[in-house]
Amino acid sequence: MTDLRDRPITPVSLPEPTLTKPSLLHTEIMSLNVGPQHPSTHGVLRLVVDMDGEYVVKVVPHMGYLHTGFEKTFEARTYQQGVTYAPRTDYLHSFSHELAYVLSVEKLLSADLPERATTIRVILHELGRIHSHLVFFGTALMDLGAITLFFYCFREKEEVQNLFEDICGYRMNQGYFRVGGLSKDAPEGWAARVQKFVDTFDKHVDEYATMFQKNPIFLDRATGVGVISSELALDLGLTGPNLRASGVPLDQRKATPYCGYETYDFDVPTSTDGDSLARFNVRLQEFRESAKIIRQALARLKPGPVKDPNRKISLPPREELETSMEAVIHHFKLVTEGFHPPVGEVYVPTESARGEVGYYIVSDGGSMPYRVKIRAPSFVNLQALEYACVGGQFADLITVLATVDPVLGDVDR
Amino acid sequence: MALKELFERDWQELESGGVLFSSLEKLVAWGRSNSLWPATFGLACCAIEMMGSTDGRNDLARFGSEVFRASPRQADVMIVAGRLSKKMAPVMRRVYDQMPDPKWVISMGACASSGGMFNNYAVVQNVDSVVPVDIFVPGCPPRPEALIYAVMQLQKKVRGEAFDNYGTQLPMVDAWTR
Amino acid sequence: MTTTLDPRRDPLTPQFADWLAELGVQPDDSAEPTALVPAGDLLRVAALLKADGFMLLDSVGLDYSQYTEKKPARFCVLHNVFHPHDHRRLFLRVYVPDSVDGSGGELPTLYPVWKSANYLEREVYDLMGVVFSGHPDLRKVLTPDDLEGHPLRKDFPVGETPTLFRDGRFLDPATFRAGMNGQSAGLSGYKGGQRRGEMNEPLPPVMPEGGPK
Repeated sequence: MTDLRDRPITPVSLPEPTLTKPSLLHTEIMSLNVGPQHPSTHGVLRLVVDMDGEYVVKVVPHMGYLHTGFEKTFEARTYQQGVTYAPRTDYLHSFSHELAYVLSVEKLLSADLPERATTIRVILHELGRIHSHLVFFGTALMDLGAITLFFYCFREKEEVQNLFEDICGYRMNQGYFRVGGLSKDAPEGWAARVQKFVDTFDKHVDEYATMFQKNPIFLDRATGVGVISSELALDLGLTGPNLRASGVPLDQRKATPYCGYETYDFDVPTSTDGDSLARFNVRLQEFRESAKIIRQALARLKPGPVKDPNRKISLPPREELETSMEAVIHHFKLVTEGFHPPVGEVYVPTESARGEVGYYIVSDGGSMPYRVKIRAPSFVNLQALEYACVGGQFADLITVLATVDPVLGDVDR
Repeated sequence: MALKELFERDWQELESGGVLFSSLEKLVAWGRSNSLWPATFGLACCAIEMMGSTDGRNDLARFGSEVFRASPRQADVMIVAGRLSKKMAPVMRRVYDQMPDPKWVISMGACASSGGMFNNYAVVQNVDSVVPVDIFVPGCPPRPEALIYAVMQLQKKVRGEAFDNYGTQLPMVDAWTR
Repeated sequence: MTTTLDPRRDPLTPQFADWLAELGVQPDDSAEPTALVPAGDLLRVAALLKADGFMLLDSVGLDYSQYTEKKPARFCVLHNVFHPHDHRRLFLRVYVPDSVDGSGGELPTLYPVWKSANYLEREVYDLMGVVFSGHPDLRKVLTPDDLEGHPLRKDFPVGETPTLFRDGRFLDPATFRAGMNGQSAGLSGYKGGQRRGEMNEPLPPVMPEGGPK
């Protein structure tokens, strides 16, 4: 048996990048290593940049410095335990991965979800999007040298994290969804606190906009930098705000609705410019759309159960354990072994703050998944870097990297 | 000659008794403990809470540790925030080696301290096997308050006010030999 | 946005079958809209889909060596293609022809059709060991360079190792799992019963003078 890595692979170089701006120096091509520990790479990304003077000729990202083996670990855990792992991939919008995983398993089981659980999921999904974009604005503008917005964004981020903590006891990496519902109901007064946050949030969004939208230094650094045309974006498989900033109004909440998103009234902000400024603006408008969805979801939040009544999937309530032998047996089976979904393969696409997230789950009928493949949007989006930076200056590379907004946990998994 | 011998003996007595330098060492340690500059070594989820600890609400600056240095050569303490993959471990060791002495390490979060929930082929099971760790912070991720408490504990250690499990006082870092 | 859904989104409709017949491929028996594409036919189908406006979103590598059902080949690659305007999704299921020595197999690359295949195929190559012939830059992407083997194959162990702590305690993976699923007896290396508070820990035992009494 020969080792695959010894097999000779004929190297074919990528299409030669062309410099759109004239090179002033005509010096030798110099390679510059950025990362993996670097202040302006979001996480442990390593870039090898070939430069002609100040101009970027070629960018080669090296990933894998945060490779955690999620997909292998899923195969050794039961379905319900997998909920704990899913949010750790994209830790900024952790509810997106949690939701995608849970929806896939529920599709496998044909679970019947109560209305209240779905509505709370929508609220948390959108709050997570707000959380992710807040961190995006804070850190991306810090990369461009504007530190002030970081403190404003993190002020609201703490508010959002308080809401997360109130409902599931933890600020990040919640693990709150369960296959067949939620782990527990929202506490009393939580909806009112969310309402209070959302009501004041639009004012804060205006505040963020005033801080950078008319700043000439920011506009100089973002306008026309890192243009990704819509053809290139589709060819590269971009999704999420990066694709919408290039003019393709693709949003999985509209395209393949899940969690009843087709019943909510919201817009998909797009821009046709495709540059870094467009990516900032699209995300800024998404703040308002998310707040709009949360307001509608809060209005239709009615008291009710939050778990699938099917005892084969969800744990029986605590008080039933003392009176019903059947409940004890179900509890024991679920805790020790978990449920056994039917044989099959499922995929449910969802829209995270970075693009399409989906879990391709293969079940062989056992209590653990046979194979879980995470469709990670950041990993695919990162390919845009190789194309969008070429011809620009090195400082533009930082802008493009910040606006493509990869989360390295999502890239490397 | 007798005077010189006497002087040397006095010097040795003073030094062994810790009279001459102890006050100065305490002053240096006090200064060091209140300006522990961390190197940015955010790896995963914990890095977000590490950033959160410097924001307006938690304000790590109260303890003199808000100046996150991009270059390890300007940092005193490395906060290993997140799961350390086996591909990243040599890089981390190199960053640690570049830091000037005296230096300290905080292992932030369950993944850095013990591998956490990721017991597989890809994750280093304990950062302590790569670099010597002074403070372990539990949590997944720890709250900013937990990180601030860890920095406070580290300050105690730097000032020589820390004790181990058996009640023995841990020595202060010698200011002069390094 | 249009609200009328394209009937070809649903694999149960006759329109879906017609569409696959147009493409010249067989439908696969799966809950998701899946087409069974022979390896030699992949580039032709991909070019047709690309001309139709599809984008490549994901490539999934599968190892069926321990699966309950018998599959035509050990390795299989699923290309997840999606139409950004009428929102059709199709999974192209390609069984990798078994190589003679059983070390994986070879598929034609989709890079000439979709540029997004660049990283996606590198990932499948890295984690599953399927070689894509003609790929411009086929090398490891996620795992370290010194890692032997391909982690997502079923014969690759999860690689659990005990976590050693300084004071001699260790967290044993078997114990860790026994607590979770109750399928094996706990071989506890963590002396749970003898655990005391931090400050009350006795000094380590010392051998008395002259040996044990």
